Amino acid sequence: MKQVININFQGRVVPIEVTAFELLKNYTESLSRHFANEEGKDEIINDIESRIGELFQEKITKGATCITDDDVNAIIKNMGRPEEFEAMDDTQTQSTASSSSSQEQSSTGNTQPAGNKRLFRDENDKVLGGVCSGLANYFNIDVVIARIIFVVLLFSGIGFLTYIIMWIAVPSSATTQIGGSRKKLFRDPDEKLIAGVCSGIGNYFGINAWIPRVLFLLPFLSFISRWGHWGFGDFGDIVRFTFSPTSLIVYIILWIVIPEAVTTSEKLEMKGEKVDMNSIKASVMEEMKGVGKKASAFGKEASSVVTEKANAVANDTKNFARRSRGGLGNVIAMIAKIFAYFIIGCVGIVLVGALFFFAIAAIGLFPLKDFLIGGTYQNLYAWGTLMFFIAVPIIGIITWIIRKIARSKTNGKMLGFTFGALWVIGWVCFILLISSISRDFNYNSKNLTEQDIFLTNPTVDKLEITSKSPLYKYNRSRFLRFEPFEGIQEDTAFVNNVDVRIIKSTNDSFRVTVIKTATGRFRNIAEENAAKIQYTGVQKDSILQMDKGIGINKTDKFRNQRVVMTIYVPVGKRIKIDRSISWFNDVHFGSNWNDGDWYYDSDSDAQNWKTGVEYKMGADGQLYTLNGVPAGKESRTKVRINSNGIEVTTDNNGNDQDNYRYNSGEPMNKIDSMKMKLESEKQRIKDSLEKAKQKIEQQLEKIGDNTEPAPLSSQLHSLSPLMEIN
Amino acid sequence: MNIDNTASQMRKGVLEFCILSIIKEGEAYPSDIIEKMKAANLNILEGTLYPLLTRLKNAELLSYRWEESTSGPPRKYFTLTEKGAGFYKELEATWYELANAVRALTNTEQETIINNSPADAGDNNFNDHQQ
Repeated sequence: MKQVININFQGRVVPIEVTAFELLKNYTESLSRHFANEEGKDEIINDIESRIGELFQEKITKGATCITDDDVNAIIKNMGRPEEFEAMDDTQTQSTASSSSSQEQSSTGNTQPAGNKRLFRDENDKVLGGVCSGLANYFNIDVVIARIIFVVLLFSGIGFLTYIIMWIAVPSSATTQIGGSRKKLFRDPDEKLIAGVCSGIGNYFGINAWIPRVLFLLPFLSFISRWGHWGFGDFGDIVRFTFSPTSLIVYIILWIVIPEAVTTSEKLEMKGEKVDMNSIKASVMEEMKGVGKKASAFGKEASSVVTEKANAVANDTKNFARRSRGGLGNVIAMIAKIFAYFIIGCVGIVLVGALFFFAIAAIGLFPLKDFLIGGTYQNLYAWGTLMFFIAVPIIGIITWIIRKIARSKTNGKMLGFTFGALWVIGWVCFILLISSISRDFNYNSKNLTEQDIFLTNPTVDKLEITSKSPLYKYNRSRFLRFEPFEGIQEDTAFVNNVDVRIIKSTNDSFRVTVIKTATGRFRNIAEENAAKIQYTGVQKDSILQMDKGIGINKTDKFRNQRVVMTIYVPVGKRIKIDRSISWFNDVHFGSNWNDGDWYYDSDSDAQNWKTGVEYKMGADGQLYTLNGVPAGKESRTKVRINSNGIEVTTDNNGNDQDNYRYNSGEPMNKIDSMKMKLESEKQRIKDSLEKAKQKIEQQLEKIGDNTEPAPLSSQLHSLSPLMEIN
Repeated sequence: MNIDNTASQMRKGVLEFCILSIIKEGEAYPSDIIEKMKAANLNILEGTLYPLLTRLKNAELLSYRWEESTSGPPRKYFTLTEKGAGFYKELEATWYELANAVRALTNTEQETIINNSPADAGDNNFNDHQQ
């Protein structure tokens, strides 16, 4: 049982089944799309329609009650579908040109026959996204070479990201090829597991939906591989439930951003089937015809309004310009504009630079995050910051640059909007992270009692304080070293926040005490954190060896732990603080270190002593060098080079081993060797040499005795004849 | 190299020639043309015929007149114009040249060397007309 309707087809009334009518309508629409670019399109379609009408009439005159599906299908089969025309009839010049040129491409490896090359991903010769073949075409090299290069890069880690970015940024060749599929990214409601994101992505890239699904699932399953995990460790260690939220967040964002394919045409677009440039152009043109009329009417109305307003504004500005003396005003405006652009440019460059620096720093510091942040939220914020605040703008900028190079014009606004939105999320994460962390540093501990470090022999004459950490650790200069901690051992990082005070002892024995401070979210937590600090030392004869730093573990976190070590030195006894103590002692978060509760002001009773120098405690509580010079007033070794020669003045304050001294041995050797040469080779000028030799020896003796500065210029002068000879 | 593609390219080249030769015989209606082609065992889709006819008409090789029909809408009957007749003559000459060359090449493979140059000339002509 089928419904039959009467239609007016080519001037005749034709009874036709509803379903058959649908078929007919679709067919004529497909025809008009196919012939959209053809000259005399209407005529062709009219011819075809009248032929169909004739065939209908034949059916009805033969006694058929109405036109059925079968009739229409038979007619369509005879006439042929547009896609069959294409196979049969290639006289359409465009498609001939494009197909033959694409054959040329594959044979010669040339994207475009002449000039004006553009970078495209090659849809005809692709393994994954066609990036390599596109690049190969662009640079005129073999695809295999491009692929090998990418695979090699893949192992170094850069290739993967590059490939992904190029996949996004470089337009597909299909978008420009006539007859090629023009795909759009939709969520696929027919093949969905959750929201159809993965199957949509699969459709778009022409790959199985399971590939994106696995890519999304991999991070979820990371608790097996423990790859890049972070955990709800707070649940306890019985079940350590770890997973990466990255893919979840990405999935949700894609869910929001990507539209669902609802209508048939959207589904076709999603799969890129039969929706070619012609058909889209045709359908757009058809829509435009209707819209065009409306638009032109609206345009007239709008333009009249706009011109009125614009005239008003123009008059205002003209008046203003006249008032500001015309030409000069323009010049000033021009200069201001140039200046503004310059400033904007500078700010932009600085921002990008800062961002990159920040990114490197953040990536460097990321392994340390467990020592600083704790709890689900802070971890979430940290990951969000890393991904959206840092990674997104970098990928965005790179994408933008590549798109500029590739001169891509598709979907630019959408991409920009997406990156902008993700970056806003990044900012939110970053601000939340900072505010959340700052709260952990809100309060300082108030308990400032001194705790004694046990000294086995406090009555030694001299105490030298060292630490277990190797000396000059931070002199191993690496490029961009971001490691504020003393080093990490398994789950403990060491921070060397140690302040040292040296005070006169009341009796004749040494005494060493420590005050431990820390911060916390609340006062009592700050006190707890301070109490947990472990910092002790062991005395061996005259050496007190301290721990290499304050240990920070992942459960207690870094909370500005700091130790003030006070050394009570008896009068007349010697003290030396090694450089390994308080070498790099200002690792802290936030600026509220001295917040008023804090009685110890490091400046007021700071002695100007230096590490690595031995001092003696004076009766007035002041430290003196072994020569009797007050600490901080000892002058340094001076090396002065001027026209009088090299002048070396050394204050003998008893620390000779630290002074750089001018060693006169080397120049002497050189001069001797010269002398030998001259004596053996140049007998003729022996007399003048003798004189010169005597002079030099006199000068050298003077240097050696260090009684009088030896004038360098005279030395050189006396040497000059020798040089001429050589 | 796709066999279907090559075959259809070959067919395409002679399609216009065939249509013109049918119309040359007398006024023709599109479905007549299809019938005659079918009878000669040259099957084409009717849908591809209409654009071809329109193109030839626009190139002023064909003209048409309307004729009322008893069994439906008025019909278009096509005839050759003077220009079309001249065009057909040229095509015909090219075709026989080409057909001879092809026959010579395909039938007697030994004489390939002798027939090489006319075959080349034929090829060139063929291409000229295609464009």
